[in-house]
Amino acid sequence: MAERTLTLSIGPQHPGAGHFRLIVVLDGDIVVDVKPDPGYVHRGAEKMAEYRTYIQNIPHLERPVIIDSSGILFPYVLASEELLDLPPPPRAQYIRIIMAELNRIISHLYWLGIYGVFVGHTTMFLWPVGDRELFIDLAQMIAGARVTFAFFVPGGVRNDIPDDFPDKAIKVCNYYEKRLKEYEKIFFYNPLVLKRTQGVGILKREDAIELGATGPNLRGSGVKSDVRKDEPYSSYDDIDFEIPVYKDGDCWSRCMVRLGELYQSMNIIKQAIKKMPSGPVKNAKRGVLKGIEGEAFARTESARGTMAYYIISDGKPYPYRLKLSVPSFRCLSLMKHLLVNQHVADIPAIYWGLDYWPVEADK
Amino acid sequence: MSLAIDLISAINQAIKNLFKRRITLRYPEVNLDIERGYSYDPKAQVGIAGYKGRHILHLEKCTGCSLCAIACQNIANCIAMVKLDVSYPQNKKSIFPQIDYGNCVFCGFCVDACPFYALFMTNDHELSSTDKKSLIMSPLQLSIPPVKKKGLVQLEIDDRGPYHK
Ligand code: SF4
Ligand code: SF4
Repeated sequence: MAERTLTLSIGPQHPGAGHFRLIVVLDGDIVVDVKPDPGYVHRGAEKMAEYRTYIQNIPHLERPVIIDSSGILFPYVLASEELLDLPPPPRAQYIRIIMAELNRIISHLYWLGIYGVFVGHTTMFLWPVGDRELFIDLAQMIAGARVTFAFFVPGGVRNDIPDDFPDKAIKVCNYYEKRLKEYEKIFFYNPLVLKRTQGVGILKREDAIELGATGPNLRGSGVKSDVRKDEPYSSYDDIDFEIPVYKDGDCWSRCMVRLGELYQSMNIIKQAIKKMPSGPVKNAKRGVLKGIEGEAFARTESARGTMAYYIISDGKPYPYRLKLSVPSFRCLSLMKHLLVNQHVADIPAIYWGLDYWPVEADK
Repeated sequence: MSLAIDLISAINQAIKNLFKRRITLRYPEVNLDIERGYSYDPKAQVGIAGYKGRHILHLEKCTGCSLCAIACQNIANCIAMVKLDVSYPQNKKSIFPQIDYGNCVFCGFCVDACPFYALFMTNDHELSSTDKKSLIMSPLQLSIPPVKKKGLVQLEIDDRGPYHK
């Protein structure tokens, strides 16, 4: 057997895997073994957090997944709020929802661009990357930055939304809902794309639960699980939205879940703008913020799945210990399960279908 | 049959797209119109939305309290307090912040830390340079407001798609 096989390194730094190495063992063009090799971009986010105040941690903690920087900060501010005793005012909760959903769209469109180009559909690289600019512009209107927003702080958000934001956001969402229909025709229901993604990399419902998949990967296997619905946080229970679920568990189902989420996110943004109460956006204390002794846990639904923080405080301005649980890390256990016995040509379709973000998994 | 229909509708979509508007911003001939930079109101303890670009330092308000440098300490460590040859009554020691843009991450927490309305951000984002030294901006450089750009455009959307006007 040993002479027959060939060991191949996919990544790090491309072709296709990013800052991550996938060691595959091939027999002909069939994958017989897979060893994911993470850790190239480990920066010790958890240890670093122990030397920084609750505010100074914010720019650092969003670095692991800059593409979804609000998603990774959301549970951090929820957990640290508990320790700092700074509940957010209602308006801030709605602004947070808008920002988190904008970021989900930005992240999904980036994924769609990459996925398109890796299944050989260059148009689906150019369209989402161009249209993503619309949502980045919206996020920039609120937060002033284009990628790393540093917008959520314990106690609320840093500033109110500008007056012209609601009109512009609704205009962009209305346009983009129509535009997504074109995406469906050219990509999601394109027979050539269906051939590459349907029935490829099947993750059964039981396996998905057992291997600990979260987010769109889990919902693509027919499990209706979303933290926004299961444990509503930050006024998500006031908003009426659906969770897209597909049963087949193949690459195409995982794509369709993300497409459905794009529609739902725009629906949520429109509702949040309408339902937003007036009032202050931040609950602030003067001086350095000190946590009360104790521990806090919070989890939210980020673009890639369940993101959770567990923070222990011993009454100092720094967290005593911070534990970060990221969704991408759970993809590692799925890779071996999905890639063995598949063709080499299907590796990009399966790997990118999981929306694995190496920097997030390495923390 | 449905395969052929789906294929034709995909190709049709691509052809239709030829008649759409171009979303690309023709930078640097035109610039996106960004009105103002991020600022902060220390009385109300809340920020005012704006672009987080290069800082602007109001020398006549800065007291040299170093709070901005302390705020940045564990973020990027890019603010150093330097002595200047100017005299302002509110700043006895004549020390002002100098910012190293090679390290700054434009988070704006230094702006949130300044209690004297002295440090804000502007809409200036063209900071590239060919050597590292010129990325360090002295307080005097920081006190100059950014030049107003020409050819400002805004994003518009009509039924032929988004474009800049
Ligand atoms: S914007 Fe952030 S990184 Fe830059 S000087 Fe201010 S605190 Fe430091
Ligand atoms: S800019 Fe503001 S915070 Fe910084 S030294 Fe001057 S007054 Fe103090």
